[in-house]
Amino acid sequence: MNEPESTTSSASEIPDENRPPIVAAQSPFLRAPEGARTIFLVTFAAACGPLAAGLFLFGWRAASVAALSIFGCAVIERIYYGVTRVPALLGRSHAWLTGLLLALTLPAFVDWYIPLIAAAFAIIVGKAIFGGVGHFLWQPALVGRLAVTVLFPAELSIPFAQFPSDWPILASNRVLRVEADVRNAGRVENYRRWRRARAAEGYDAILITRPTLLLARLTRGEGPYYGALAFVDLDAAQTKGDLRLPDEYAEDLSTLPEAPLPEAPEAITPPATGPPRPRPAALLQLPPLNDMLYGARPGGIGETSIVIIVVAGLYLVYRNYVKAQLPLAFIASAWCVVAIAPIYLEGPAGTIRELWLPLLTSEGLDVGFTYVNYQLFSCELFLAAFFLSTEMTSRPVTTGGQVIFGIGCGAGAMLLKLYMDVPIPCYMAVLAMNTLTPTIEALWRPRVLGQGFWSRWFAR
Amino acid sequence: MLFRRYGTFTGGIDLPDEKHSTLDAPIGAWKRPEKLLLPLAPCRGASARPIVQPGENVTTGERIAIGGNGAVDIFAPLAGRVAKLTTAPIVRRRAMAMVPAIELRDLSRPTGICALSEVFDWKNASAEALRARIAEGGLTTHRSDPISLARWIERAVAKKCDVLIANVMEGEPFVTSAHRLLVEHGADVIRGLAILGRCMGAVRTILVVDQRRTDDYRELVAPARTYSIVRIALEPKYPLGADNILLKVLRRREVPPGSSPMDVGTAVIDAATCFATYRQVACGAPQSSRVVTVSGDRVEKSGNFWVPFGIACESLVGRAEPPVIHGGPMTGVRTGGDLPTGPSTDAVLAINAAAPAAPTPCIRCSWCTDHCPARLNVAALNDMFELAEIDRARRAGVLACVDCGVCSYVCPARLPLSQRVRQLKRAIYERREAAPLFSEK
Repeated sequence: MNEPESTTSSASEIPDENRPPIVAAQSPFLRAPEGARTIFLVTFAAACGPLAAGLFLFGWRAASVAALSIFGCAVIERIYYGVTRVPALLGRSHAWLTGLLLALTLPAFVDWYIPLIAAAFAIIVGKAIFGGVGHFLWQPALVGRLAVTVLFPAELSIPFAQFPSDWPILASNRVLRVEADVRNAGRVENYRRWRRARAAEGYDAILITRPTLLLARLTRGEGPYYGALAFVDLDAAQTKGDLRLPDEYAEDLSTLPEAPLPEAPEAITPPATGPPRPRPAALLQLPPLNDMLYGARPGGIGETSIVIIVVAGLYLVYRNYVKAQLPLAFIASAWCVVAIAPIYLEGPAGTIRELWLPLLTSEGLDVGFTYVNYQLFSCELFLAAFFLSTEMTSRPVTTGGQVIFGIGCGAGAMLLKLYMDVPIPCYMAVLAMNTLTPTIEALWRPRVLGQGFWSRWFAR
Repeated sequence: MLFRRYGTFTGGIDLPDEKHSTLDAPIGAWKRPEKLLLPLAPCRGASARPIVQPGENVTTGERIAIGGNGAVDIFAPLAGRVAKLTTAPIVRRRAMAMVPAIELRDLSRPTGICALSEVFDWKNASAEALRARIAEGGLTTHRSDPISLARWIERAVAKKCDVLIANVMEGEPFVTSAHRLLVEHGADVIRGLAILGRCMGAVRTILVVDQRRTDDYRELVAPARTYSIVRIALEPKYPLGADNILLKVLRRREVPPGSSPMDVGTAVIDAATCFATYRQVACGAPQSSRVVTVSGDRVEKSGNFWVPFGIACESLVGRAEPPVIHGGPMTGVRTGGDLPTGPSTDAVLAINAAAPAAPTPCIRCSWCTDHCPARLNVAALNDMFELAEIDRARRAGVLACVDCGVCSYVCPARLPLSQRVRQLKRAIYERREAAPLFSEK
């Protein structure tokens, strides 16, 4: 079938040779103002919100990573276009957007070559070999992120105790730059939140552990977090001599020789009556929930500050670039999976106890909620939900398809996070669901006006 | 409550209204043209047989061609001299077609002379008598793709339509002709609607109007009560004027893909047809002119005018450069080659349409699918078009498309989506005509 511009059935029927070409002879003659370039640029502007948060939290290294990534994408696409002349590489706006989204997923401390290599993979493998804008299967930024995760696992996930550059460090009243001498970092007692935290005398920074790491140990029953979430029969435990109260990330910091160990947190709160009970580790070990919302925690440049991600994402929803159903389904399904999926707690005498429905079977409903929220907030879920899974080309088109897509993303992300030791569970879930997008589109068919219920699948 | 309220439908879009310049402009007379080009086949079917010779003088309202076999009679809109028998372009199925035509020149405007028997007691006439009276003249429907009104009634009776809907939604931007007709001749429109309802034996007759505009003609359509016509005001959203969507909203009835509203027992007509019917049946005036909205940023004089059939559309807009649009901006076609006004010309527009940008690849933004009132997955249909998978498109229900143009309107990649869907539909129909034995169903 030819393009309608070239062959119209009426073309030969009008005798006037001077008539204008038939291309404009077809309705509608009005066009909505927004073009594809506008979509990319507005999304870019919205993604600048998380980037700004990242710059604030992680310092100039974040800016350099973002610049390297964005210009890397633009230059590599330009070179690819110069070589192959694929016409579908639509200007530079989509390359900029891809570069920015890629930068948001990268941590700030990476070396200079990692954003460039990620950009090369994003543009060439993720986008160009499929034919450019509108044709790719996977979200290109995530392709780049996955590539560097596989190629440079060590550079991207430096163990906590190995420095010179680790995950962000909270200084007095602000987040320390990464180039600070972290060996000279101390911890404060009674760390409240990053705005209030002040490093101890003689130290430049505060160290906090990645909440993800803590949660992973928590759910797998590793480490001395007995009684973290579940109710502990204290009497029985004490009589058996098994009770180990949570001591604060001791083994993590044991390699920091000069750091004075803090005093033990308020491990035991004497209740009015009855035996003392340990406070759950979920509340003790992790930074305050406010920190998680503002983004003062380790992670990628743009994936930590949930408040700003949600605001920018809501702006995209308002502009109709993102259907609210997709991020909602993503987050809701992740929440449900975390609330239901079992965690494994170390019980007395080394036994591992399986705990289904941790939302309800934790020590209290508040602990359950806190646990679930930490699981969601401590990973890259919100960035994936609002910015990465909503990439237009690689998600289904229909609303129902997007809901299925979002449910798959959320459930997959949380299952990967809970039970598989992968560094970027949400991104990998999004990539997996991107792979399934054509299938979802083929199977989920809205009923067309006037069609019977079944004929959308079984029309003759 | 004078106007009942109803619900809405999924999809659709709020278009810019753009009607302010002509909404309150009274219907004026159009100046005498130099020539008229009267197509002998304004509607589908055969063309009429001319009964005048070149050089002959005709008077206003004189029958100049005799229809039959689906064609309608043609009447001279103005007195003048038959210049020649020639051909004229007309709009048929959103494309141009050439049909034989009569050219009138040396036009004058004497007092009207009725070609039909003048007095007709339509209030007491039987349905058969009314039908005969309608068939007597050359009435057509005044919608896009006009069809002989007599044949339209025949079909409605054959399909046992018991509901007649007068669709005066007029959702397209710029177009105000039906609104002005209701404002100035609302009672006559109502009477014409009642006549049509009696012709086809409709149990319910409904007048559907735009909720925002009811104040202007609330009193005028009051005779509706006499004829037990239900008046319904709907909240405007763009393709609510499409028949299938209107049926969905009003009657909760969906038209199967590829069928017409008559297949579900509902006939849909417009205000201009009702008015022309009344004029012919009650007054004996054959249809030879209609209200046309002339509007747009580039026209010399915008307004609503009584325009005799046969004036070149491009002469209505003054010296405006092309493109000149015949019909509304969403569903109209671009004029070319002296396209004359006809029964389906509700508007002639010269709007500042920027040159269409080159289409870029579909980025699957889903806006076309979201806004499609027929709930078609237009993005998937675009793929099927590009892969020429016509049968798959048919199974996907492409024939349910109501041709509203919303998908093209919203497309950020500037793809000609509605054209492509139209081509898919055309390919399906062609395939059916070519091989009816092997076609589906």
